Amino acid sequence: MKSMLSALGLATVLAASPAWAQSYPAKPITMIVPFAAGGPTDVIARIVADNMSKTLGQQIVVENVAGAGGTTGTTRAAQSAPDGYTIMMGHMGTHGAAPALYPNLKYDPSKDFEPIGMAAGTPILIVAKKNFPAKDLKEFLAKAKADGDKINEAHAGIGSVSHTTCLLLNAQAGLKPTQVPYKGTGPALNDLVSGQVDFMCDQIVNLVEQIKGGNIKAYAIATPERSPALPDVPTTKEAGLPEYQVSAWNAVFAPKGTPKDITAKLNDALGKALADENTRKRLLELGAVLPDKAGQTQDALGTFVAQEVARWTPVIKASGAVAQ
Amino acid sequence: MASHETRDESVPHPRRGTQDMAAGLFLIAVALIALWQAQGLPLGTLRSMGAGMLPTALAVLLAGFGAAIFLIGALRPGAAFEKWSFRGLLFVLGAIISFALTVRLAGLIVAGPLTMLIAGAADPQTNWKHTLIFSIVLTAFCILLFKVALRLPIPVITFL
Amino acid sequence: MEQLVDNLALGFSTALSLKNIGLCFLGCLVGTLIGVLPGVGPIATIAMLLPVTFGIDPTGALIMLAGIYYGAQYGGSTTAILVNIPGEATSVVTTLDGHQMARAGRAGVALGIAAIASFIAGCIATLVIAALGEPLTKLALLFGPAEYFSLMVMGLVFAVVLARGSLPKAIAMIVVGLLLSTVGTDLETGQERLTFGIAELSDGVDFAVLAMGIFGFAEIIRNLENPETRDVVRGKIGRLLPSKDDFKQALAPILRGTGLGAILGILPGNGAVLGPFASYTLEKKITKDPSRFGRGAIEGVAGPEAANNAGAQTAFIPLLTLGIPPNAVMALMVGAMTIHGIIPGPQVVTKNPQLFWGMIASMWVGNLMLLVINLPLVGLWVRLLKVPYSLLYPAILLFCCIGIYSINNSTSDVIFTAFFGLVGYALLKFGYEPAPLLLGFVLGKLMEEKLRQALILSRGSFATFVERPVSGGLLLVAAIMLAIALLPSIRKGRDEVFTE
Repeated sequence: MKSMLSALGLATVLAASPAWAQSYPAKPITMIVPFAAGGPTDVIARIVADNMSKTLGQQIVVENVAGAGGTTGTTRAAQSAPDGYTIMMGHMGTHGAAPALYPNLKYDPSKDFEPIGMAAGTPILIVAKKNFPAKDLKEFLAKAKADGDKINEAHAGIGSVSHTTCLLLNAQAGLKPTQVPYKGTGPALNDLVSGQVDFMCDQIVNLVEQIKGGNIKAYAIATPERSPALPDVPTTKEAGLPEYQVSAWNAVFAPKGTPKDITAKLNDALGKALADENTRKRLLELGAVLPDKAGQTQDALGTFVAQEVARWTPVIKASGAVAQ
Repeated sequence: MASHETRDESVPHPRRGTQDMAAGLFLIAVALIALWQAQGLPLGTLRSMGAGMLPTALAVLLAGFGAAIFLIGALRPGAAFEKWSFRGLLFVLGAIISFALTVRLAGLIVAGPLTMLIAGAADPQTNWKHTLIFSIVLTAFCILLFKVALRLPIPVITFL
Repeated sequence: MEQLVDNLALGFSTALSLKNIGLCFLGCLVGTLIGVLPGVGPIATIAMLLPVTFGIDPTGALIMLAGIYYGAQYGGSTTAILVNIPGEATSVVTTLDGHQMARAGRAGVALGIAAIASFIAGCIATLVIAALGEPLTKLALLFGPAEYFSLMVMGLVFAVVLARGSLPKAIAMIVVGLLLSTVGTDLETGQERLTFGIAELSDGVDFAVLAMGIFGFAEIIRNLENPETRDVVRGKIGRLLPSKDDFKQALAPILRGTGLGAILGILPGNGAVLGPFASYTLEKKITKDPSRFGRGAIEGVAGPEAANNAGAQTAFIPLLTLGIPPNAVMALMVGAMTIHGIIPGPQVVTKNPQLFWGMIASMWVGNLMLLVINLPLVGLWVRLLKVPYSLLYPAILLFCCIGIYSINNSTSDVIFTAFFGLVGYALLKFGYEPAPLLLGFVLGKLMEEKLRQALILSRGSFATFVERPVSGGLLLVAAIMLAIALLPSIRKGRDEVFTE
């Protein structure tokens, strides 16, 4: 498989003539989304790609290559021809947690990619079933700590955002809940709403309507500022766990070796998308947090990826969760 | 699918059901492969199952069924083992694999006709002229349908 | 009641706008088309058409995407009947009797009754959703892992009852299906199981890959070696539409199938897949002459088709009223809604009544359109069977390859399909039936997950399955059904019954 992929890469390199660099893009660009269609990363990728296509004058086609916590698609992107015609929407999992989760990972988030820029992050919330006997985060943490493994935490599968972000919470707050794995956010949320499990951590976009509808309750949002989508939910800083700052970020990457002028062009298109009023509005409706100007540069993303890998590795290693 | 059931009556029954005997051995082989793959996975306990519990249990169960089916075949008269058609296997499966190997390398424009032509070799009655024309027409139709109308990200042509 | 009428009036005024009728028609047409092509599923198509809907208002977009979904469900039955390839788990059952009807020259009748059954089921399911959607949501919340596991056990009993031919061989196939479903990453520990070190298997085997291989490709190879029987229709096409008698025979199964499908469709975690199996089992059990089943019994097409369509529609209930998608297609609908700025949740009904009721009304409109699109097409499909097999099978192969590739844009999936083609051919040669294997596979995926979740939640106590009333009740029903299925045969002596 691998040799086939590299043969494919070679064929595309040979086919690509250098003259293309000036007139880039001369044909549609493929954006690999390493998750199934319809999920938060896919939705963000499609909204951003829609506007970037207009700026670049060529369509960006989203190609979902799901599998193994996003690492299948990310591996394919890493091994693609660095000609600017294959880019990807990377993610907290694929470019942060994966090196610790998958010992046999075939790519290095820092070394095998050219960072293009941060797209959008979706904040993480700590939520519990609606009749959980705690009125705020402090009470929740105290009770969860006292109950030890008697309390049930749901997550959407090993390596999922809800899994890793709760590992961080458990490590920081000293919780040792029983973890109940589900296949995806939907079933996990279903059992939280019906009260089969006690709490979970997940992205705001998956939870916001359930919170507003009173089916579950939110204790805190792990961002520096409250979200306009849920103005009543306190931040972790306000609620007494300031060190818990985490968001499921999504950022655009190109394979290592993609020419500088091309990555600059892509970064510029991404920046224009994030400045576009309609695109902004659609992303903010999801509860997403957009990077400021300083956070939109290629260098900022490169530094951030290194920080994320360094942050997740000890948390995941300590928990003993390793996907092979 | 039941069409072949009636055939059982037309074939004279041999003394032993060689088909069932082979069928039983096949299951045992599948079970052994599964056991080999599942070895080393923690079984856990019934109360707290490990990753290997279910695969191992199912493989053992399967081996049991395999043995039972083998014995049924060995002890009672039944259908005879059927001859395999290697021509069909070779070219049909070959066509599928050729699609897999060429679609990303060369694109649908090559993979489409190639797949259909290799598949055509599976049937002695194939009219090559018809198959060739049809494969080109159908590939063009697929490109229009999947790429142009449905916008699937399938490579159409990668070598130009 | 009055409120229901008001709501439906709002819904129909939305769904019957010229633009929405057009979108609904387009969706149903595209859905039927991709459903008929073997191997091309609704998931890839909906995913790809998402960006196309950017320019449309959310209600129109969802109406169109929903049309694709149930159009594809319907189109999948056409393929199952004509060429014996189930595109989705729900059309496996239709192959059993539908394809036999086609072989007997009754392809038109089978297609016609499938269309009519789907339409009747769709009409009733639309009313069910409109009248009972919100209260039924509570049913979804009654189902925790333990209940779900027990439901799957009941499903396994269906599989046994469904079995034709040798019982040990059928059960062995179910076990093989269960075993195949364990391939992939372990849910709890993340360890890889039975993957032979192949990274592409770490998410397990895809249903379409398995079904296309062991049903589709194996069938093609088998047909190639029997030139006499391979052309499904040899001159005799028979009548194109069901007669009055056919319809009379099918009506009760349609209504029963609708009921079963509608209830199972509401359950979270894709309970809808059980609908057709349950309906088939029921019909086979209550008929006077069960031996007709598997040989072209019209009830074996009508009931499951009704259940399939009813379930496909009621599967929208957890999505629309709870905001929780019960299966992969519904998860995609969530994506479609979020792209349009509507995050599905318990408040969609009150916040976007036009969208909610518009979609419900459009389901009825869509069903009518499917009937309008498909009844005239029956003649065309049946004529398709007259294409010489030597041209037909390479085309089927190509469509399957493209379809499989487009699930995950992965060539390794295509190669796995070839492998399962080999396995499927071997199974046929050994006298095994592929249908129980597929059912075991579908159930197995959910069963292990739910079993282990339930045991984690009960801290390892198996009593949880009996103590919880719904779960205990389901297990009881399963036990009774198994007894009913097995007892008479034991009394009569095994051979007569098991080798009907």
